[in-house]
Amino acid sequence: MSNVVSRLQQYQSPTPSRWRENAERRQANKNWLRYSQSIAMKMLDKMEELHLSQTQLADKMGCSQQYISKVLRGQENLSIETIAKIESALSIQILC
Amino acid sequence: MTFDLITEDGRLWAVRYEGAEDNALDAVFNQWNDVLWLREFFKANIDDLVSYFKITDVNDAIYDTIEDSDKLECLILDISPDADLDKLFRPLENSRIDEKLLSKEKARIHNRPHHASWLRIYAIKLEPGKYIITGGAIKLTATMQEREHTLRELQNMEKVRQFLIANNVIDEDAFQDYLKEL
Repeated sequence: MSNVVSRLQQYQSPTPSRWRENAERRQANKNWLRYSQSIAMKMLDKMEELHLSQTQLADKMGCSQQYISKVLRGQENLSIETIAKIESALSIQILC
Repeated sequence: MTFDLITEDGRLWAVRYEGAEDNALDAVFNQWNDVLWLREFFKANIDDLVSYFKITDVNDAIYDTIEDSDKLECLILDISPDADLDKLFRPLENSRIDEKLLSKEKARIHNRPHHASWLRIYAIKLEPGKYIITGGAIKLTATMQEREHTLRELQNMEKVRQFLIANNVIDEDAFQDYLKEL
C-alpha cells in the first residue's frame, strides 16, 4: 500500500458510507424509477399550472406533505391506488 | 472532514464534509436523481440552459441529467482493479499539461447524443492513479467561476487540497520524488 493511502486511512470516516448500496439500488430499480420520475415531472407541471402547493395536494389526496415530497422527488414505488388518487386530484392521465 | 473508500483497493476515495450525512459522491448522485431538486435547479438556471444548450424544456434537461447520471454511476460502480483511473479523470483546465501537487481533476461522460454532458465529478489527484472525489456539479457555463454553484465546487477542491497538505497526507518531498521518477 502506498504511503499516501496509509496516511489517508487515518482520516477515514468512522461510519460506513451508503453510496454503493444507494447506487446499486438505483441500478437494480432503474425501470420503475424512470416511471416514478416521469410521473413526478407530470405532477409538477400540473401543480405549477394550478398553483397548487405540496400541502394542498396532500390535503386533496388525504396523505402527508412529506409523502408528496417523496413522490415529487421521483423515488417512490407508487401503487395503482396512489396513481389513481394522483390522477383524480390533479385531473391528469398517467395510466392509459 | 473525513474520507470514504470508494474502491476497496484504496485508489478512489470521496470526501465526507463536516455535518454531511454521507460523502460527496453519494450526495451528487442523490441530487442528480431527485426530480424536485433538478426542476428547481434548471428553473433557476434556465437562461444558461437556453443560451448554452438551446434547451427550453426543463423536463428534457431533467431526463438528460438522469440518463447521464446513470452512465456516470455505472462507470464508477464498474471500476475494476486494473482500470486506469487516469483515463477517467482529466485535468480540470483543459490546457494543463504540467504535473501539479494535488491537482484538480474532473470526470465526465463523452460522446452523448444531441449535446455535451453537463455533469461533472470533481476530484483531487493524490498521485498517479489515485483520486479523492470532492463533489460534482451541473456545469452549464463555459467556466466554473461564472456561477455560484460551480465556484463553490472550486472552493471545495481547494479546501480539500489544503487539508491534505496541512495534515501531511502528501508532502512536497514526496511529490518531488515522484517527479524525479518520471
